[in-house]
Amino acid sequence: MAAHKIKNIFIPGAVTSNFIAESIAKHQSQTRIGGHSIFLGQVRADQINDKTVAAIEYTTYEEMALSTMHKIREDIFEKYPLTCMHVYHSLGVVKAGEISLFVFTSSAHRKPAIDACEEVVERIKKELPVWGKELFEDETYQWKENKNI
Amino acid sequence: MDLHIKLFGQLIDTAGSKHLTLPYVKDTHELLNLLQEKFPAIYQSKFVVAVNNQVAAENTLITPDSAIALLPPFSGG
Repeated sequence: MAAHKIKNIFIPGAVTSNFIAESIAKHQSQTRIGGHSIFLGQVRADQINDKTVAAIEYTTYEEMALSTMHKIREDIFEKYPLTCMHVYHSLGVVKAGEISLFVFTSSAHRKPAIDACEEVVERIKKELPVWGKELFEDETYQWKENKNI
Repeated sequence: MDLHIKLFGQLIDTAGSKHLTLPYVKDTHELLNLLQEKFPAIYQSKFVVAVNNQVAAENTLITPDSAIALLPPFSGG
């Protein structure tokens, strides 16, 4: 397997639907692919103590996050026969209803793409040093903590 | 010789700063003892120590040029 370069997965602000559509379109020339799997993480307008989450502001320890993501990528390519895999995570403010995580895996047949996509999402949630600050409509905030669901 | 320790997430709020400076210690066990003594509010928070981009699951050696960070629970995605 060819060594993969460390890629930057972070983008400022929300992942737009145009960006996602273009990513899909770019794969039309790769005709050995038979299945794609996509996960989109969306910011929820949670109600917490009568307050509503208006947005999440994401920060990261970039150096560690990119090196961790590189390791995840290598593990996943080792384990599944993927044609390609793309991961994008937002930094900064993402409003409720907008997309903050985009994971896109492709393979010749559906199963590896689906399984790899799920595993990548779970590992991102567990291992990537990224923090979300839930900003409420009244401009107060609280720090989010990932749940195992 | 000092250690410059990066802070993230709610630990920045707790400390009122994005980093801490502590005298050099040789491993993460000693680092935790020092935090308990000098920064009890940080010590009592939930966090893991990262040394050179890896979470220190057990006592880990620190060299003067190690990159040290205190990481509160992750909430990406």
